[in-house]
Amino acid sequence: MYTLSEQQIDFILSDIKSRGVEMTDLQVGLLDHICCIVECELEPDGDFESFYRKTIPRFFKRELREIEEETILLLTFKHYYAMKKVMIITGVVSTALFILGSLFKIMHWPGASVLLFSGIVSASLLFLPLLFILKTRESNSRRDKLVLGIGIIFGILISLSTMFKIMHWPYANVLWLISLGTMFFVFIPLYFFTGIRNTEIKTNTITSTIMLVLAVGLLFALTSLKPSYQVTKGNMYTYLNNELLLHKMQSKLSDSIQNTGMVSSINNNCESIKELIIQYEIGEKSIPADFEAKDDIIKEGNLSNDFYDNGKGVQLLYDLKKAVGQYNSLVKLEENKIPVVNTILETDPSKFGLYSNFSVLNSLVQIQMFLASSEMN
Amino acid sequence: MHKILMYICFMYSSELIKGTLKTIVLKLLSDNQKMYGYEITQKVKELTGDKIQLTEGALYPSLHSLEAEGILTTEVVNIGKRVRKYYSLTKKGKSTSQEKVSEFADFMNTMKFLLDIKPQVG
Repeated sequence: MYTLSEQQIDFILSDIKSRGVEMTDLQVGLLDHICCIVECELEPDGDFESFYRKTIPRFFKRELREIEEETILLLTFKHYYAMKKVMIITGVVSTALFILGSLFKIMHWPGASVLLFSGIVSASLLFLPLLFILKTRESNSRRDKLVLGIGIIFGILISLSTMFKIMHWPYANVLWLISLGTMFFVFIPLYFFTGIRNTEIKTNTITSTIMLVLAVGLLFALTSLKPSYQVTKGNMYTYLNNELLLHKMQSKLSDSIQNTGMVSSINNNCESIKELIIQYEIGEKSIPADFEAKDDIIKEGNLSNDFYDNGKGVQLLYDLKKAVGQYNSLVKLEENKIPVVNTILETDPSKFGLYSNFSVLNSLVQIQMFLASSEMN
Repeated sequence: MHKILMYICFMYSSELIKGTLKTIVLKLLSDNQKMYGYEITQKVKELTGDKIQLTEGALYPSLHSLEAEGILTTEVVNIGKRVRKYYSLTKKGKSTSQEKVSEFADFMNTMKFLLDIKPQVG
């Protein structure tokens, strides 16, 4: 049996490294293996160098590095199949969740939000990233990988902003427009100019680009689903006429009633909230009579959460609820109480942002009208 | 894709041995508790009377992938200046080993029937 010196072991290790084997695990394994061969098969007085030179080709066909390449291939292949499986499963599951969620939402069944939320989260945070990892492995060109990467980022952005819109979360529109912007100004040009250079896929690229532009256009058209000018104008006149009616009723009441603590407190609160909404929408304290000429149109939409960020609106509504409660407790006749059930007074003021501006304005006028008519009796 | 030619076998064609390397390694480890790379190649040589010789180029990639799959576990022992890695079967590996061996036995029976091989007498 041959005994290897420390220098010879170092020599073998550095030779393994210089032949391109980089994985430490593999280096260690090969070193021990070669040492074993030398120790067992070389005569005690044999020539180490020539034996080593004859032995090393046993490990490969062309280069020693092949062992490492084969190892990496086997290791990645294992993950490759597992990842592909996960990708397909998450893809199918999120599509199913999304379709079910949409159906539940249309039918107003409970659980729609949970379904949509989990569907979109698994699609954008599992399926799309996995798709990116697997597809980039298949493609060799750096440019293809870039196009794919930006496409995937767009996909993630668009599905997340769809979720924000569905859930009525703040900044949904900003995110939505950023997604469409990325798609239109970054992804489509990149996709078009990389594809057009390749004669084989030139026609396909042109068709796909046209379809992509069309799709972005359609999505852009869906950005703001708001009623037409005529409908909005109608809403404004209804509100203004309600106000007129209210003033007519209030004018019948004596000043002493109007100035009663309870009555004035309810009226002041209602006026303040209305003022806050109108101020926010058109920048004035009340709707001017010539609003059409001035183009001071209030578009129907939800009272955004940021509107109440300063807490002013929320606080006012709390005060109003309290005042109405006090008033109702003092009124003896049931028919003279201000209705609370199924009105905005029943809502948690922090959820107030989900209500439409016109419905809140009209509800407030209604409360004031109930109050005036009760006081008339 | 796989470098089949990395198997050197003096008696059998590489196509014939393709796919049995893992079975051989797993069976050896289930009989011998723990073994290191060189020991595995020597044992195969000895048991088959030099008819099957595993090459290092095929053995090590397989050992690493079996380890990554959680079928094998390793134990490192310092031998002077170098390190020796002993491979042994995990719990999962023990059942995989049995499955692989019985799958191969079943395959051999099917092949015998398919190729109409008569059992050799004496």
